[in-house]
Amino acid sequence: MIVTSQKPLDEILSFISPYNVVLLAGCDGCTQPPRGLREAKTLGQLLELGGKLRGKDFKVRVTTSPKQCDSYLTLTTLEPQIEDVEAILSLACGLGVQTIAQVLPDLPVFPAQDTLFIGAEMREEGSFEERCAACGHCILDLTAGICPIARCPKGLLNGPCGGSVNGKCEVDSEKDCAWDLIVRRLEKSGRLSLLEEIQPPRDFWRVPRPGRVRE
Amino acid sequence: METPSSQQRVAIQINEDYCGRCSICSSVCPFEAITRDAETGKMLLDIEKCQTCGICYSSCPAGAIDAIQYDADSLIRYLERAKQQYKSDSLVIMCKGCAPDFEDVQKIFGISDFVPLSVPCVGRIPMDVLLKAISSVGTNGIHILACDVDYCRFERGSSITGQKVMALNLLLEKLGYGKEAIELKRHSLKVKADRNKCISCGNCAFHCPFSAAKLVSGAAEFDLDLCRGCGLCVALCPAMALELENWEGARISASIARLSSEMAEPKILVLRCQWSAFPFPNEELDANVRVIDLPCASRVEPLHVLEAFRMGISGILIAACHEADCKSKTGSKEAQRLTTALKKTLGQIGFEERLHFCSVAPRYPEAFYEELQQFREKIESGYS
Repeated sequence: MIVTSQKPLDEILSFISPYNVVLLAGCDGCTQPPRGLREAKTLGQLLELGGKLRGKDFKVRVTTSPKQCDSYLTLTTLEPQIEDVEAILSLACGLGVQTIAQVLPDLPVFPAQDTLFIGAEMREEGSFEERCAACGHCILDLTAGICPIARCPKGLLNGPCGGSVNGKCEVDSEKDCAWDLIVRRLEKSGRLSLLEEIQPPRDFWRVPRPGRVRE
Repeated sequence: METPSSQQRVAIQINEDYCGRCSICSSVCPFEAITRDAETGKMLLDIEKCQTCGICYSSCPAGAIDAIQYDADSLIRYLERAKQQYKSDSLVIMCKGCAPDFEDVQKIFGISDFVPLSVPCVGRIPMDVLLKAISSVGTNGIHILACDVDYCRFERGSSITGQKVMALNLLLEKLGYGKEAIELKRHSLKVKADRNKCISCGNCAFHCPFSAAKLVSGAAEFDLDLCRGCGLCVALCPAMALELENWEGARISASIARLSSEMAEPKILVLRCQWSAFPFPNEELDANVRVIDLPCASRVEPLHVLEAFRMGISGILIAACHEADCKSKTGSKEAQRLTTALKKTLGQIGFEERLHFCSVAPRYPEAFYEELQQFREKIESGYS
């Protein structure tokens, strides 16, 4: 899922300050924590309250899209709501904002979130952890299901680097060393020999940016 | 846990002068708060374990337990006053935990008008109050609405009431009051899920303190036998696909609007867990303070707090139980977590100090009012 964090209210208020009627679009899709109808209504109330304190009387309408990054779903859920709307504020990740910009080209659209990373939700710890770098060349088969591109700050294909201390990363001692985890897991399943083969540099041509897949 | 001052009054006390040491209180207490001292034979109440359900109070044959709130004298005084007010000779005694609104109570018992008496657990009503009520108010019948046995927040309150009513009815029948002079019905207020709105996020399944929610074929499904009606899932559902019977979001919003319109400035709204403080029915509050009782502090939605601020409420006090007393296991803890996060957000528009979270318990009846007074002073002195 795409992990986001909400922008400061002041920043959001400055985006919408030139407008009076704003449509606040939630996203029920993968954005975590879910930024659906409740988040949209809650932020709507906060913006109206914050606007009032600044002498500005916003009218904030709220809606939510099942998946803002889907052009069809987003157009069909948002289009019926945009009459007299002057700007759209998106609660989705950067994909949602851009999809709205594309399907509703005549309306200004603003992000209410900072998009952070592709992450896994660890409910018990109440945390979101970056796990995939979308590099386009998956090597999880060789690394015991642990991605060194996303989880090792150095992105090493051939690790560990030697700086690991008691299983923690030398760059950030709060975080687990991805290569320490990989070695231990491979050892446990008797596959440590996989590491004997040196991995060549990644082939960046596999996903030339910006990426595109046709179906 | 609070650290009570030595003078702090407690809600339940054992009066040694009257105690016959029969141990009935100890055997009925659902929380093992009363024990018999092996050496002296005295009955000892550990007030920190007491949940103030009052079952011991209504069960003591010697009248040796003193209750500050909902005691026999004040209940009877209330009934006499309420009889004039409601001009009815039917009485409905209901537990706060399962009492729906007036109209639904009418439907449940098939009666058009009645004197309502809402109490925190019907298990605290002594038999003599019921007899007195029959002779003075409920001459046309007494109806009791208790929680479903498994839903009772005080574990035994509902079942013990069932036994008492059965015994009383036999007695009343012999006295010529006919069969089942006291009618007992059971009820509970539970979650309602709209599968069409569910976005399969799993929040309800992960957070439900009673494991009543799970995801089935991608949508939330509830085992209503397990639901204890705390409303935590409702407050957490990002798709607003859940509602709690009698505490629907729109109903709470409407209550906030109604109360706000009748309050004096600076307006102070209390969103309170109904188990954290036991006010007396018809309690008179100051003109600028109004209270909405909720099934658990975890039912508080940030959305309602924001709505209230937008309506011009100056300060909002959230009153929860102490974590150890929470009737919904993790409810108080979650309520505190949600409030802390909301306060942080409110800080961005300078509203942080207008929202306050406190933990209180009805075992110290003044605890809630002390918190309220402190908060009032703060709001009245400059945050309005």
